[in-house]
Amino acid sequence: MAKNPFPLSKEKLLDAYRTMRTIREFEERLHTEFAKGEIPGFVHLYAGEEAAGTGIMMHLTDKDRIASTHRGHGHCIAKGVDVKSMMAEIFGKAAGACRGKGGSMHIADLSKGMMGANGILGAGAPLACGAGLAAKYRGDGGVGISFVGDGASNQGTFLESLNLAAVWNLPVIFVVENNGYAESTHRDYAVAVDSYVDRAAGFGLPGVTVDGTDFFAVYETAGEVIKRAREGGGPSLLECKMVRFYGHFEGDQQLYRGKGELEDIRANRDCIKLFASRIVEAGVVTPKELEKIDREAAQLIEEAAAFAKSAPPPAPAELLTDVYVSY
Amino acid sequence: MLKAVGGKTRPPRVGIIANPVSARDIRRVIANATSLQITDRANIILRVLACLKACGVEEVVMMPESGGVRYHVMRGVERSKNRGEEEFPNITYLNMLVTGSAADSVLAAQLMREDEVSAIVVLGGDGTHRAVVTGCGGTPIAGISTGTNNAFPDHREPTITGLAVGLSVTGRIPADIALAPNKKLIVAVNDVEEIALVDVAFVTERYIGARALWRTETFRELFVTFADPEVIGMSAIAGLLEPVSRREPCGLHVELAGEGAAAVSLNVPIAPGMMRQIDVASWRRFLPGEIAQPKIEAGSVALDGEREVSFSEQDKVTIRIAEHAFYTVDVSACMRYAAMNGLMRTSVTQQPEVWTV
Repeated sequence: MAKNPFPLSKEKLLDAYRTMRTIREFEERLHTEFAKGEIPGFVHLYAGEEAAGTGIMMHLTDKDRIASTHRGHGHCIAKGVDVKSMMAEIFGKAAGACRGKGGSMHIADLSKGMMGANGILGAGAPLACGAGLAAKYRGDGGVGISFVGDGASNQGTFLESLNLAAVWNLPVIFVVENNGYAESTHRDYAVAVDSYVDRAAGFGLPGVTVDGTDFFAVYETAGEVIKRAREGGGPSLLECKMVRFYGHFEGDQQLYRGKGELEDIRANRDCIKLFASRIVEAGVVTPKELEKIDREAAQLIEEAAAFAKSAPPPAPAELLTDVYVSY
Repeated sequence: MLKAVGGKTRPPRVGIIANPVSARDIRRVIANATSLQITDRANIILRVLACLKACGVEEVVMMPESGGVRYHVMRGVERSKNRGEEEFPNITYLNMLVTGSAADSVLAAQLMREDEVSAIVVLGGDGTHRAVVTGCGGTPIAGISTGTNNAFPDHREPTITGLAVGLSVTGRIPADIALAPNKKLIVAVNDVEEIALVDVAFVTERYIGARALWRTETFRELFVTFADPEVIGMSAIAGLLEPVSRREPCGLHVELAGEGAAAVSLNVPIAPGMMRQIDVASWRRFLPGEIAQPKIEAGSVALDGEREVSFSEQDKVTIRIAEHAFYTVDVSACMRYAAMNGLMRTSVTQQPEVWTV
């Protein structure tokens, strides 16, 4: 076995692969189940974007809090939320992470520092500032991470949060997951300041752009911005340029895509394939080790789906409980 | 071969490559690197365009991109037209697929070369200039520093760069004055060749990751085309050891030392505002015709400050230096010539003496 040239141990590299494969399996399964009409409400899939969430979350612990988006499944899995409880939540079952009352866009697990996916675009950024402020007061070295898409970065809440985080020097990282489409609108049509790094600079924050399909680029850069925040160096913005394999939501016809675009990104910009080929070519892991993880991830999702389908829905008497949660 | 600046059969056209992906990397976090905003880059282009027009250039071709430069330039041009001004040349865009990466700069330079533009104005740092030189062939370039380290492009008001390019492509400055030759380094990993304009560093990190270099413990070897003590980045190590000018027919090869084995220890600005101690084992002139191999068997090749290619024990890696590899517009020489020969005079009461370098 060759000497490991990567900034992660072999065990951690396999962990990263397992996380990304689990997200991919999870999303592929939802794609199928949604088409069969088995899932109530909308789902927005993270397939194709796995390297960003995984590369960032590998630097975090449960005391670090993240505020996710409507496309939050990948963030949940990478942050350690139980996959079966996630699947049950999406199927609207009582065994779900939020007792089946939140669905895809409101999965939360505070014990894991996952403050929630969020159906309100741009609403996560102030929450991450709150988490950052709490960590700063406690002095526990924790950070708050706000995920936002390129479209939601136009929301006032996001821009106000950049200002707040800069003024209070909060340990917050604003991650812009730029997949090029705000639903179906290209940013050239709707954004006057096209660069997210420029926006950060406008508020006095450093900003960095990375190739979000390159796990190692995300991992290394995220490590630096998170370390900076933990040490009191303040907030920063991390733009991950990425691709999404499915539409904005399931059922989206994607007529706004260029001809051959999807085939091209699946063939050439699949972050999991790129990661796998790199660690195999370096001789650090074998294809067989990855295939074993593939099988285990598929098995896990199969079990999660079976569990979710067979689980009971919340009882009618539970309708008015869990409206407010004290924490 | 040095060729005349300016088209012979049709009016001169100038290319502009401003890739918005430049100056966006991790050095904004680990150092306090410049983050030149897109609107500022567009303003630089508007200044260059106005100067090209003032010199008689009517056609400019630009690289398309999706970072917003085009729209800000377009708004500037429209606002000028609305006010009845005709201060800008006609702008067209290359017909190419935008990938949002450095590859766009390479392709744009290739297309501009095929289109026989007279010169290419480049906005960027060392990485963007390297990308353009990869594709531009014999087409001269004029660099404007908008990147991170900017060891290669001059630090100068872009207005002046625009004037120098405009004067040279319209044939008012002889090519032997307007253009300067440059060296480049050529690295081959097996059969694949890459170039660098300023420096090639061999580091022990075997992954590309965030690309930039700042972990000094990974640095092993350095080759530079020129060694300037006034620049930052990897080439600053060479510059602070033994200056070698851009015009000398050689570069410098520096071997870095392990702990306790340094012949010289230097305090070096390896990134903007980032001073680090560098331990040097030895250094020597690196001559054209030499073919060197890195001492490390596995690691990464960093080209002009960014990790680009990783290699293992199985790969064969060689490096050499080439003279007269490409041409830049010598802005200082152009403007001196313009002043001494009255090229900017609008009313003539006294003819200057003809002056040449």
